[in-house]
Amino acid sequence: MKDVWRETRQAVLPLAAVVLVLQTVVLSMPLAVIARFLLGTAMVMAGLMLFLKGVRIGLLPMGQAIGAELPKRTTFAWLLVLAFILGFAVTVAEPDVRVLAYQVDFASGGQIGRGLLVLSVALGVGLSVGLAMLRILLGVPMGWVLAAGYALVLILSFFVPAHFLPVAFDAGGVTTGPVTVPFILALGIGVVSVLGGRSAIGDGFGIVGIASIGPVLSVMLLGIFYG
Amino acid sequence: MKMLLEFLSIGPVVLEVLEALAPLVLFFVVFQIVSLRLPAQGLSRLARGLALTFAGLVLFLQGVKIGFLPVGQEMGRALGGLEHKWIIVPIGFLLGLSATAAEPAVRILAREVETASTGAIRARVIILALSFGVAVFVALGMVRILTGVPLRWLVVPGYSIAVLMLPFSDRTFMSIAFDSGGVATGPMTVTFVMALAVGVAVALENRHPVLDGFGLIALVALAPILSVMALGLVYSWKKGKKP
Repeated sequence: MKDVWRETRQAVLPLAAVVLVLQTVVLSMPLAVIARFLLGTAMVMAGLMLFLKGVRIGLLPMGQAIGAELPKRTTFAWLLVLAFILGFAVTVAEPDVRVLAYQVDFASGGQIGRGLLVLSVALGVGLSVGLAMLRILLGVPMGWVLAAGYALVLILSFFVPAHFLPVAFDAGGVTTGPVTVPFILALGIGVVSVLGGRSAIGDGFGIVGIASIGPVLSVMLLGIFYG
Repeated sequence: MKMLLEFLSIGPVVLEVLEALAPLVLFFVVFQIVSLRLPAQGLSRLARGLALTFAGLVLFLQGVKIGFLPVGQEMGRALGGLEHKWIIVPIGFLLGLSATAAEPAVRILAREVETASTGAIRARVIILALSFGVAVFVALGMVRILTGVPLRWLVVPGYSIAVLMLPFSDRTFMSIAFDSGGVATGPMTVTFVMALAVGVAVALENRHPVLDGFGLIALVALAPILSVMALGLVYSWKKGKKP
């Protein structure tokens, strides 16, 4: 547990300290608010420790096993379908995506519902993980896919209703969380090692980068059709 | 006492986490039966890990929902109600700096870049560049909320610069840069800092919580991409000068 305790401490405590300093120097919020903050911090830290430990002994080996086995047993087309399903499933499990959904639900007064947002983000990640696999299989250079993806994002950004745009861009940032990244990396490394010949660094990485374009596009499309 | 009860009523979060983990577990179970066939010993370890993940997620999300989100918003509203509202700009800088400098993912990224540049760019330089990059972008995000500048004006040039740097980038650096978008969007940024931004937008007149409150994560994700791409250009340039 020592390693996860260090990680949790480093991720939470500096910011918590800044909040407490601000409280004493600039703000003086009611004591009940600070008590709520401290309780929340304790709970978040305990949760994060258990979660990270669980990811390490449960989800990460699971991802590696799937990543190593998947490309051996299936055909090209099935691999893409399974990569899509896996990308979808890990995003549904991603805590950061849930938190974004709470916030959007609250700030939009329930207009952009939680389920809908999680669903479209997950669809976006699933599709782009499939696309990333296709890129590795076909040997298309990484730069082309990134350039095309972001060019599409930039073009679409002019057609999206203004209040969907910030949420769409935020969605790209929250998908790269503690569940998604190890799973997708393991999958990519598995696929590359089975294909052989190509550099694991150049090809295995980059999937996460492509995976974070998908949700931006899917939430933008949600905005265009729904907003 | 009432607050404690609020923290303890975890029913809805338990349901939500069950729903969140179900697709992944289902996928694995089907895969295990159809083709993987891991031995029972390995499975019991995975099950233990899964149980820990479940408990951890429940605690984390409950702590965020009952603790961080309301307090972050409250704090944002308090800051937005201050006489000198510009103070949220340096505060944003501070929050960005403290969220990034200690973040474990940032250290891992720094080591990765150091290796990719065969030691030419030191890990400490990378951590510094990233932390300042993120801090400046969070500060910019606060300026944006204060002034109501559309997110487009920051994000479109930002990503355009990143895309324009692509043809000049080393392949390894390119992959690392775009993968690293998420390194600084750690558990505190996504929860507390986001709630704070929404709170500020709620408190300010003529600002819309959805339109102006969101977008900060996008900026925090853009900063490392630009920083690492720029470092990659520096490395290519150094290498070109000294063959």
